[in-house]
Amino acid sequence: MKTMKWLLRREFWEHKGAFVWAPVAVAAAMILLVGGGFLYAMTFGSPEQVQFNGHTVMQINGIPPALRYKVAHIAASGYMGLAAPVFIVLAVVVFFYCLSALHDDRKDRSILFWKSLPLSDRDTVLSKVLTAVLVAPLVTIAIGTVAALAMLVFGLIGTAGKGLNLFAPVLMEPNLYLAPLYMLAFLPVYAMWALPTVGWLLLVSSWARSKVFLWAVGTPLIVALLMKWFNVLVGHVSNAQIDVDWFLSEVVARGLTGLVPGIWLSQDHIRVMNQQEGVDPMGLLGMSYGTLATPGVWIAALLGAAMLYGAMRMRRYRDEG
Amino acid sequence: MNAVLSARGLTKRYGKRTAVDGIDFEVPAGRIVGLIGPNGSGKTTTLKAALGLIPFDGQLTVLGFDPRTQRDDLMKEVCFIADVAILPRWLRVKDAIDFVEGVHPRFNRAKAERYIANTKLKPSMKVKEMSKGMIVQLHLALVMAIDAKLLVLDEPTLGLDIIYRKQFYQNLLEDYFDEQKTIVITTHQVEEVEHILTDLMFIREGKIVLAASMEEIAERYTEVMVPMDKVGAASALAPIDQRTVFGKSVMLFDGVSRAQLSQLGETRNPSVADLFVATMKGTYA
Repeated sequence: MKTMKWLLRREFWEHKGAFVWAPVAVAAAMILLVGGGFLYAMTFGSPEQVQFNGHTVMQINGIPPALRYKVAHIAASGYMGLAAPVFIVLAVVVFFYCLSALHDDRKDRSILFWKSLPLSDRDTVLSKVLTAVLVAPLVTIAIGTVAALAMLVFGLIGTAGKGLNLFAPVLMEPNLYLAPLYMLAFLPVYAMWALPTVGWLLLVSSWARSKVFLWAVGTPLIVALLMKWFNVLVGHVSNAQIDVDWFLSEVVARGLTGLVPGIWLSQDHIRVMNQQEGVDPMGLLGMSYGTLATPGVWIAALLGAAMLYGAMRMRRYRDEG
Repeated sequence: MNAVLSARGLTKRYGKRTAVDGIDFEVPAGRIVGLIGPNGSGKTTTLKAALGLIPFDGQLTVLGFDPRTQRDDLMKEVCFIADVAILPRWLRVKDAIDFVEGVHPRFNRAKAERYIANTKLKPSMKVKEMSKGMIVQLHLALVMAIDAKLLVLDEPTLGLDIIYRKQFYQNLLEDYFDEQKTIVITTHQVEEVEHILTDLMFIREGKIVLAASMEEIAERYTEVMVPMDKVGAASALAPIDQRTVFGKSVMLFDGVSRAQLSQLGETRNPSVADLFVATMKGTYA
């Protein structure tokens, strides 16, 4: 347990730039841009219209109280969405983190230092998995929450400047305070969907001598290409066809895009969400956990775990000359 | 079972090439063993096998553990520095100390800090800001503060200047070594380690050609400064090596009594380097 704590800290030391400073930079840029935009709109914008999230949400002439609460509800329950770019950064950062996690120390031979300490290969690989599916998302949620709140405040100041004071109704919305907790509640779903991708990337990272990215991304794409080619060749003489689309959506997508938050939501889910006013976090959570009821998620997660085991075995005897 | 390291038929093949060819050896506790051989002779491979870094054939036990199946237990008792001291570039001195203290039950923080205080290393320094010598200093400070039963040093002082090399071996002997511990060293700088070794192992083309304690070697091998007029008589005793220094022949004898040799000229113990050169003759031919 104590060893795991230090291994996680070790990962954090090494990747502080990617896990903390990259999302902080993106968050800062967004606050500057969005906040500046709101303030600009307040100062110079036309007084009749208030735009929120790119939509004209209301006209200033005569505000029915019901609309006022509706807008407040949308703002309080959906403000986390403002931080979406930070979560996209998370996916990119963790993707490349996994690719380098078991490769970089072999490349510079510092693996021999780690191996001279009582650290098992199992714990080492496990610490990287936990960093990818738990530590990095937690850090991002923290940064994302701060950024989203800052933008919300700017937005409220902006609308207040137009004569629509939403501070009180927004502060009364329970969703305002629950949003970060909802984010935490998504973590188990995220981890389940990320597992096959993390497993695949760490396996390649542990195995490849060089060009990790090419191996990880190129291999599945070339396999898909070969399948297409097979279909073209065989299609002339027989009806036997490989379902390439199935391979792309069920194997390649699970193995490469599992780190993108919300990847589990299908078109149907998004259609349901678009019909709602604002975001219904409970409904979204329900839909997300609903995706775990499909066998594909579990099979992929099991394969992910198997690939992690492979990565541990591989790391055991990788001889770096 | 008293032996710290014990090998029976230890073999390692890389494809068709045999790096280590069925070697047997025993290292008892409380020894400082020099494993010496030319480049590519299999010394690093032997050490890697002992540390569970590579699979191998044959039998090998280290502190009673099989490095293939019990590496995690073994590493609590063993520490090593692999041939070029390389540390992760992003590591800070203070983080390195915290980390090793956190994961190693036998790490003595005060000792590591004392070693580091004698260097130019600062706690906030990152490895990438350090000179090669400083990296080695940090690495040695960390490793020497670990109270391991077996310490394996593969070219530990490569890249260090002579002042620090001397100091390192002195620290090793005075602060680190005791009769509970065993140290295995490989190095090219034979002259620097020969006075601290208790045992010698010469390895050549994957085979051990000489394994003996320094006392046995002193008994067995004699170097004689033979004046010109006695060269014929000396040659008759089949020296294993011969060179000429200032008009005198210096001959190396294996297993000839010292009393007999002293009649031929001045006798003395050969240096490990000379013995090594004589033993490895023809390696590169």
